[in-house]
Amino acid sequence: MEEHSIVESVLDNLPVALFAKDATDDFRFILWNKKQEEVTTIRAEKALGKNDYHLFSQESADYFRSVDKAVIKRGSLMKVPEEIIETKNGREVHLRTVKIPVHDKESGRLLVVGISEDITEQVKSREQLERLNRHLVQANQELQQTQMQLIQAEKLESIGRLAAGVAHEVKNPLALLLLGVDYLSQGIEPDDPNVEKILQQMRDAVERADRIVRGLVDFSSQRSLSREPTQLSRVIDEVLLLVKHELTRSNTKVNVRIEKDLPLVFLDMSKFEQVLINLIINAVHAMAGVESKLIKIRARSESLEEVVKNQGARKREVFRSGDRVVILEIIDNGHGIAPSDANRLFDPFFTTKATGVGTGLGLSVARRIVELHGGELTLENREKDPGAVARLILPTKLETAKVRTVTGRVKTEETPKEIDTGPSDLTS
Amino acid sequence: MPRKILLVDDEAGFTELLKMNLERSGAFEVRIENDSTKAVAAAREFSPDAILLDVVMPEMDGGDVQAQLQANPLLARIPVVMLTALVDSTELSEGAVAQAGTQMVLPKPVNLPLLLRVLDEIAPAA
Ligand SMILES: Nc1ncnc2c1ncn2[C@@H]1O[C@H](COP(=O)(O)OP(=O)(O)O)[C@@H](O)[C@H]1O
Ligand SMILES: [Mg+2]
Repeated sequence: MEEHSIVESVLDNLPVALFAKDATDDFRFILWNKKQEEVTTIRAEKALGKNDYHLFSQESADYFRSVDKAVIKRGSLMKVPEEIIETKNGREVHLRTVKIPVHDKESGRLLVVGISEDITEQVKSREQLERLNRHLVQANQELQQTQMQLIQAEKLESIGRLAAGVAHEVKNPLALLLLGVDYLSQGIEPDDPNVEKILQQMRDAVERADRIVRGLVDFSSQRSLSREPTQLSRVIDEVLLLVKHELTRSNTKVNVRIEKDLPLVFLDMSKFEQVLINLIINAVHAMAGVESKLIKIRARSESLEEVVKNQGARKREVFRSGDRVVILEIIDNGHGIAPSDANRLFDPFFTTKATGVGTGLGLSVARRIVELHGGELTLENREKDPGAVARLILPTKLETAKVRTVTGRVKTEETPKEIDTGPSDLTS
Repeated sequence: MPRKILLVDDEAGFTELLKMNLERSGAFEVRIENDSTKAVAAAREFSPDAILLDVVMPEMDGGDVQAQLQANPLLARIPVVMLTALVDSTELSEGAVAQAGTQMVLPKPVNLPLLLRVLDEIAPAA
């Protein structure tokens, strides 16, 4: 019949696989178009009149049958977003299938009509994409891990350099303690007015030694980045304790001025100490041979508009307009930066110092740490006076702590435990 | 008469306790100078029998003070004992101490009996 052949040729030329099963006759196939032949590699002559159990594995057939029964039971269309059939030659074909229950009033038969789209290629490219993405994520993680290791290695380097000075600072209270013990062990008169003073001195000495040692231990700790709302003055105090000997020895004066009511900044104490120690030791080195060595440490807060005006528009990438930021400056009166070096200061291993004095890692690591804090670090010559200024711009809110990740996406740093605002998206 | 000792060290607590220890027996009279830039003036004024001098001090370190004492004929003869908390003994040979030609270097923490022996030797009681 002509009408019949039109329907047939339409069915056979459909770009989707089409089949129908008779639920009232053991789910035998009554329709099997060309595309269905291609997808299953089973010819229509073989398939028609058979059911899934004749054509596919027990496992697959069980699965198809359970879906068919569900379709009949529900009495409405069902979508199977992805199913896999294994062809006779062992190839896996991924299908997106829609199954529709059809009640044929004329014959009284109950049919399950299936329309399947071969999505094997799509799935493959999706899987490939996922694999690539996993690689990328892993590479990113490895990179971040390596960076943390580099930061830690640089820290060990600084500890090595600081250790002698710190030991010196501990020996002073020890010397005091020993003198106290010497005095007290020689027997004391009940009315000796010195005893009270000596005991107080000894108590102070123990506390001082304890503070220095604890400071070094805290600084050495190898934890992953954990930021807490911190008073900048506290970090500066700790750092000055660790570098005290270096400053005394080089006869460097330090002048600290911190704006009143400076907002808290979200800092990892130990990592941030590393930054400041690097900058201060750099300043000390830069002032070799200078008559009166002076390091000025200044901290103030500004709103972003001022920052943009003062420091150039590129800050816009990192901070949002209207953000309150803290600006910390370490200013020295040393020999400053040679124009030819200016672009290379932050390159890893760039150093103008003798081997053993400089590794060239200090600034690159310091910048990385500051970036992990969502901030910026620059080093420039001072405008009028001789010397250089290292300038840190730090966010005061966690939400604005934007970090450019390796993939180029802008992510928000993790939220510390104490604070429950903002997204908690971990970047490590 | 007690022997006069000038004690130059920027650590106020340390100098106070050392002074108490030395003066206790009545054998010594100790003058403290915590500011090393005033050490030479103090020596001139006090004319001590011996000077105890810290090495690492701000402004002027022990080596500088020693050099200025040496340059002054009136003060050059006063025996000097360097006290130092330097940890690494190589720092001593490289640093100011060696240059200044100090007679005696004692490590900090100070061993008091040893210091007393040294003082008896370089500044014996009359
Ligand atoms: N405050 C400063 N003044 C002048 N030059 C500086 C200052 N800080 C750093 N530099 C220059 O930057 C270089 C790189 O510094 P850094 O990365 O800390 O490595 P290192 O201190 O080991 O040389 C230094 O060798 C020095 O030339
Ligand atoms: Mg450095």
